[in-house]
Amino acid sequence: MTGPQRERLAAAQAELLRALLADGAVPPGFDPERVRVEKRALLAKRRGIVAVLRPDVAAELGDRFRPLFDGYAAAHPKEVGTRFREDAARFAEWAIARGELQPPKKKRWWRRAT
Amino acid sequence: MAAATRSTEGERKGWWHVEKLGVGIGWRPEIDLTVERLPGVDFVEVVAENLHVGHLPESVLLLRERGVPVLPHAVSLSLGGAEPVDAHRVAHLGALAEALDAPLVSDHVCFVRAGGLDSGHLMPLPRTRDALDVLVANVKAAQQDLPVPLALENVAALLDWPDGELTEGQFLAELVERTDCHLLVDVANLYANARNLGTDVARFLDEIPLERLAYVHVAGGEENRGVYHDTHAHAVLPEVLDVLAQLRARVDPPGVLLERDDDYPADAELAAELAAIRAVLG
Repeated sequence: MTGPQRERLAAAQAELLRALLADGAVPPGFDPERVRVEKRALLAKRRGIVAVLRPDVAAELGDRFRPLFDGYAAAHPKEVGTRFREDAARFAEWAIARGELQPPKKKRWWRRAT
Repeated sequence: MAAATRSTEGERKGWWHVEKLGVGIGWRPEIDLTVERLPGVDFVEVVAENLHVGHLPESVLLLRERGVPVLPHAVSLSLGGAEPVDAHRVAHLGALAEALDAPLVSDHVCFVRAGGLDSGHLMPLPRTRDALDVLVANVKAAQQDLPVPLALENVAALLDWPDGELTEGQFLAELVERTDCHLLVDVANLYANARNLGTDVARFLDEIPLERLAYVHVAGGEENRGVYHDTHAHAVLPEVLDVLAQLRARVDPPGVLLERDDDYPADAELAAELAAIRAVLG
């Protein structure tokens, strides 16, 4: 059985992801510079996916998109079970709540074609 | 009679003979027409998580009608994760393999999720006995529920875990020995690890069981501040083709597939990259 191995591995992997995705400390033995590089790479990937999924949000925010998304991401690490579409939607809601983004106008089906 | 019933070790283990795949390219919705019209595409790969069995893209069905093998490639099984494998993800991969009549499926030697967080990426594993034991158990569980053989791919890493007990080649060799899985060797990832972690390419290729090679990935990337990033959004570096040549010097790979996932270039550029791969294979 692999119970003890799983427990040790779970702790080590969780510690690394907390350092990379949330505000966890760099685990002992890791090169802090490489952890920073990986952290930036993961953030850029997440930001890029959200920009593709919500080009409207990225376009409206313009130059503010990157710093705002990075602030959102640091406070809201992507949790297991969250789809990227939900991540993008939550970022948009977060930006609206902070007054950075216009709330969506109510759409009427008979006006959509205009 | 004795000669006829004597089996090789491979047959005894029920090893499946890897069919010749040729040269291929990753099918993506953004380049579906390109993939359809590129000359000499012998096989394609699809990202398993992006397809639904009941609603396969028309382009993928067209390729199947032409007889082009379509191999499902998964990115979310997290086989190296501490959690047991998610049966739903394995079932989806298996159902896709059946819908596409695929000869095999693949995922990565990595973990994706831990401690309730989702990295959204293929994270490297510690090269320890603990990690190998868990990976082996997870791979065996997945294999039980898959209708076709499973090939596992080496990932590109930006950082290395401390206290590694095995080289990457030894880690993969033991994984194959204990699970009978196949290998999907990504030469761009191997190059990335050589650049970023100091992995010895020749030693890696010497240590892995090349007779278990299902196929090879080739992809582009870029160097940024002394670190090589496996972006799949840039041209394939000559150095990566050199790693492919080093592999080719040891074995004739059943297949080689070009991966491009972003900043899609003109068709001619992709065709030229496929031609460059063919030139290395000889």
